[in-house]
Amino acid sequence: MIETLLRIFPQGDFSLIAVILGMPLLGAIVNGVFGARIGKPGVRFMALAAIGISFFACVLSFLALDKVVGAGGGEHAELVHGKLAWTAWEWMSATTFGGASIPIQFRFSIDALSGIMMLVVTGVGFLIHLYATSYMEKDPGFARFFAYLNLFVFSMLVLILGDNLPVLFVGWEGVGLCSYLLIGFWFEAEKNAAAGKKAFIANRIGDFGLILAMALLVYYTGSLDWDGIQQHAGELITKTNAQGKLDTVSIWPVGGGSYGLVFGWINLSFLNKTLAITGATAVGLCLLLGCTGKSAQLPLYVWLPDAMAGPTPVSALIHAATMVTAGVYLVCRLSFVFAMSPFVMACVGGIGALTALLAATIALVQNDIKKVLAYSTVSQLGFMFIGVGAGAFTAGFFHVLTHAFFKACLFLGAGSVIHAMHARIHDDDASQDMRNMGGLKKYLPYTYWTFFVSTLAIAGMPLLSGFFSKDEILYRAYINKTVSPQMDRALKSFGVWEQPDWFGPVLYTVGVIAATMTAFYMFRCFLLTFHGDFRGWTIGRPSQISNPHHDDGGHGHHHEDLTTPGRAPHESPWQMTVPLLVLATFAALVGYLNPGLLGHKIHFLGNALDHWLHPVFRDTIEGAGRMVALRAEHLVHGAKVPAEISHEALEHVEHMEPILMLGGISAFAIGVGIAYWMYVKEKGAPAKALAAKFPGVHRFLLNKWYVDELYDEVVLSSVDALADTAAAADRTIVDGILARLTALIASFTGTIFRAFQTGVVHTYSAIMVVGLAALGVFFFRPHAEATVRKLGADYQLTAAPGMGYKYRWDLDGKGFDEKQLLSSTDIQHKVTLEEGKTKTVRLEVENAFGRRGIREFVLTRAESTKTIEVGKNAQ
Amino acid sequence: MFLVLSPFIVLAVGALLLMLAEAFTGSERSLSVVGSIVLFATSACGLAVWLLGTDNVDLSVLAPWIILDRFSLFFNALLPFGAALVCLLSGGYLEEHRLQRGEFYQLIFFTTLGTMFLSAAGDGLTLLLGLETMSIGAYALTAFRRTSTRSVEGGLKYFLLGSFSAALLLFGLALLYGVTGHTDLAGLRDGLAHGGALSDPRVIFALLLVLSGLAFKVSAFPFHMWAPDAYEGAPTPATSLMASTVKAGGFAMAIRVLVTAFGDPASTSWASGWPPVVAWLAVLTITIGNLIAGRQDSVKRMLAYSSVVHAGYMLVGLAAFGAAKSAAIASILFYLVTYTVSTIGALGVLILAGSHGKEAVSYEDLAGIGKRHPALGLAFSFFLLSLAGIPPTAGFFGKWYLVKAILEGGMPLLGVITVLNSVLSAYYYLRVLVFMYMKEPAPGAPKAVPMRSGEVNAALVIAAVCVALLGLRPGATIDASEEAAKTLVQ
Repeated sequence: MIETLLRIFPQGDFSLIAVILGMPLLGAIVNGVFGARIGKPGVRFMALAAIGISFFACVLSFLALDKVVGAGGGEHAELVHGKLAWTAWEWMSATTFGGASIPIQFRFSIDALSGIMMLVVTGVGFLIHLYATSYMEKDPGFARFFAYLNLFVFSMLVLILGDNLPVLFVGWEGVGLCSYLLIGFWFEAEKNAAAGKKAFIANRIGDFGLILAMALLVYYTGSLDWDGIQQHAGELITKTNAQGKLDTVSIWPVGGGSYGLVFGWINLSFLNKTLAITGATAVGLCLLLGCTGKSAQLPLYVWLPDAMAGPTPVSALIHAATMVTAGVYLVCRLSFVFAMSPFVMACVGGIGALTALLAATIALVQNDIKKVLAYSTVSQLGFMFIGVGAGAFTAGFFHVLTHAFFKACLFLGAGSVIHAMHARIHDDDASQDMRNMGGLKKYLPYTYWTFFVSTLAIAGMPLLSGFFSKDEILYRAYINKTVSPQMDRALKSFGVWEQPDWFGPVLYTVGVIAATMTAFYMFRCFLLTFHGDFRGWTIGRPSQISNPHHDDGGHGHHHEDLTTPGRAPHESPWQMTVPLLVLATFAALVGYLNPGLLGHKIHFLGNALDHWLHPVFRDTIEGAGRMVALRAEHLVHGAKVPAEISHEALEHVEHMEPILMLGGISAFAIGVGIAYWMYVKEKGAPAKALAAKFPGVHRFLLNKWYVDELYDEVVLSSVDALADTAAAADRTIVDGILARLTALIASFTGTIFRAFQTGVVHTYSAIMVVGLAALGVFFFRPHAEATVRKLGADYQLTAAPGMGYKYRWDLDGKGFDEKQLLSSTDIQHKVTLEEGKTKTVRLEVENAFGRRGIREFVLTRAESTKTIEVGKNAQ
Repeated sequence: MFLVLSPFIVLAVGALLLMLAEAFTGSERSLSVVGSIVLFATSACGLAVWLLGTDNVDLSVLAPWIILDRFSLFFNALLPFGAALVCLLSGGYLEEHRLQRGEFYQLIFFTTLGTMFLSAAGDGLTLLLGLETMSIGAYALTAFRRTSTRSVEGGLKYFLLGSFSAALLLFGLALLYGVTGHTDLAGLRDGLAHGGALSDPRVIFALLLVLSGLAFKVSAFPFHMWAPDAYEGAPTPATSLMASTVKAGGFAMAIRVLVTAFGDPASTSWASGWPPVVAWLAVLTITIGNLIAGRQDSVKRMLAYSSVVHAGYMLVGLAAFGAAKSAAIASILFYLVTYTVSTIGALGVLILAGSHGKEAVSYEDLAGIGKRHPALGLAFSFFLLSLAGIPPTAGFFGKWYLVKAILEGGMPLLGVITVLNSVLSAYYYLRVLVFMYMKEPAPGAPKAVPMRSGEVNAALVIAAVCVALLGLRPGATIDASEEAAKTLVQ
């Protein structure tokens, strides 16, 4: 059957991709345009059918891909790096600095990496759509919601399946737009609209980096599609400039200027120290900026927690399972570029570790259930960055996969809880506050069990998915070390930054600490929500204050008596519980795709994902990047950077895996243990005591390290100051002088021209005649022009042609030979010049009117060609 | 033979039949729809011959008087397409403003036929024939609103100056005939290439005269002075015809004459040939056009100057011909396509925005209209953004390929001037958006009330689809323009 499929859709022209992309787009258009006309059942059907068919097409494509890469050949057969590609059309063509034309096509491809991603997006996306049909049931913007949601899936698929950076960028912007629209979905509330704007701005900052990276990639590699970039990635660190030196990106001095001045005893000559980075580092840092924006890492993570203002299914789909992992996806996709620069890899890992830790500390004390999950998402994304930053791309991507399932399940579970709470409380903030919950186990059994499984998974309970992926990341972070491929090449003159040896263990330690906190805050969240007694009986407000957008679903609409218990919270309908059950099952089991050590030991489990993704990252790991477990060599032999990794070292590394695994297991045990002790044994008393004892720390964490306030103070106020300065300059200089001057000139010329635009035909024709005469003057005057080209010691002079022109040359500077007649064919001459000499050459032309013109060319040949030393400055 | 000539035949026969039908039935109601169908069919015939391939048909039936090649086929598809949109606009406009008379459509047909002949003319005589067929129609269209003095005045000016420029052109062609003994363009080329004809001063006079004649037709500075008066005075559909089809016909003529007869290295020399002259004309046209356009109070007059400015952009492309050869011509052809649909769209929305006695003319008339009539505001913004060259609209790619050709021709300064000017032009285009969305009409001030017309709506939808498609998927059109340019340049 798959053969038939591949016959209909050949590998190079796999137009089934059009269905994958087209269905969500169709859904978006139908729901967006005809949403009001087809009614709620129509919208529901359209949205579900669009994503469902798209998912089905994804599964078929995946099976076809499986065939193409040759996965049928058994566990140890080497897979090939194949892809299914489809070119929709040629979009435009860009020109490189060398003048070559780069066609930019609307081209999509499915390979091992994007294949898994698209399955997750459409699969999890379908479940969340199903969930949302019930969750958003009573919302007046039902059709609008699903139009946005379908559009999001479409954009995300464009992002994933795009075969080059510009197409990815279209998707990248598209998901950003949908995210903005959905965060501000209930835009009537000021807070939500502001959150939407915040997300948009943070993402724009990141996008700026992505655009810069594209320009740099065109410069260095001359291509923008994945294959082309991979093929020429070596250019990023080997391209040389005209002087034969490494073509680097100069960071300082800005603009190549010289700032090192000496005024008496003030010596600023240190400002002349140059700082340059390789193309690989520049591209990597720009891409990383883009990734931090989209994947909510330091310093741009601030938008994600606020993004929880959107409806809960949106949080699950966009801000947990799919869009925010786009940054990790991009790092994996361009792994061969990142691997070129150990510095960038260290930045990726370092940023990931810091974000993981920071977000985990904030999550410890939050009371809003969605805020806890939001910070947990930021923290888990940090883990993914640790993984890819350590060169363990498979491990990082594996965490993307597991996280998609358990975090989606947690968010949807939280949505189910909020749904139940909201039915009683009719207040957005109070219904999300965990202090009002407790004991919900009894009322929401499905939600309880699925939430429990996912909490165990994210906390790293051994043998569940989160454990495997997190453990793999921590292990790799400890043993890996990125080594620049420059080490091999004869470019050692350019100082190469080397990752210090302590870097890996530090990443590991930070990771373990963050994992401990994860286990703690997730169980705190879980226990506060589902265990103990229900604390929300007497918290409630009359229904009419409830926001009109999120109606209570017709339950308990009457005015409650706030002193007596109202109706109990209730379980959600099947459209909401079925997705929860499916997601929880996957959250528990998906880890067995890549169970790491267990896979090595127990043969039938194997490490399927590792095997599957190997062709994608093979070149990065074994080829140009040589991103190998080199630290191991250091541990065994103490050698600095060996050329080869010995078998002995690899074995040593393998023996470390069980030991390092203990860190992950103990993190889970300690975190869960403390949470159990605090919130079950002692009923939350120690938490209150701690908060009372260290009120400063508690407040500090509760207020999220005051990062928002810091940004307000530093960034916003400096932007304000800059704006004020600019406005003042604008008023005085631009308005005062420039604008008045230009306005004067413009109105002056305008007046002149208007004076001519009299409406009198004589004037018009007179002006035409004057114009005609001006053109005539141009032709009447002779134009003696020539181009000078240097060919070694020779200078080649070529006279510019003209209508009826005749030429005569004076090549030795002694004056024209008056006897020599002008000739129409005497166009080109060669002049030889010795070093350090100067010569004057004259050209005389005569045009058709018999008018003559002379032009002088002074040719000077320099003493001897010296290479200009870059970065040295004579004082 | 009939196949190759089908665009001409369909249009000519269709026009005559419609004239008869109108005379006998006396009904003008469905003329615009039927007329646009005839014009669309003409365009489709051009497209069909194009797709059939030039190898499969006999192209030499009317050579050397009428040259049928990819270049003229390109225009045979483009020119009637623009005219068809104009025809639809006229249907709504004339009825709304009580100007419904059948001649209007006949004038559109014959003007278009003239432009088509112009684009295919391979001989000085057929060229003049086409030019006059086109111009007479355009004069009459300008003065169509007989009760309005502005309209009649604009038409008369256009007529007087147009005759003047046609005389210049004719004089230039006569001089060339005197020197070479040829009136056909290919013969002129050969005649100029041999026997030192280029060193004859008469040839240079002739080039000068031909250049100014061409510059008049494409309204380049300082031969543009008729344009604002004529564009503003004319009924708006006539304006849109002049800004699109007539202007494109002028460019077709200019390109063919200059490239065929004066395409040798000496004439296209960057030091002393016609490209530097065209470059000066272009730079002055753009800059001065932009300066004046920014100072207009009337949106219609602003669009008139904007049309002058766009002609300047295309002249920049023509100036790059000496160095960039077919790439320069291809970029102009593509620009013409994007410009045609964008400008017809913009003028079409301007038509739609006003109704009888409550026309939308000035910026003030449009205050707040974007809020009162969101669809109209959206459409206007879309076309104006395309004219300003903002992605992802058609106009962006037009400018992109134009600047690319200029840079490939090694003229960075011209490229910079073009880009800076297009930034400058954004001022007056966006000013419309400011008025539409951020201002409210002053109390008691006259407000423009949009008219209702299915025909105008249809034209706008077609134009908007074209603008969006050209912005998202310009590939096929670019390939076509390159092919058309290559047949001309070789």
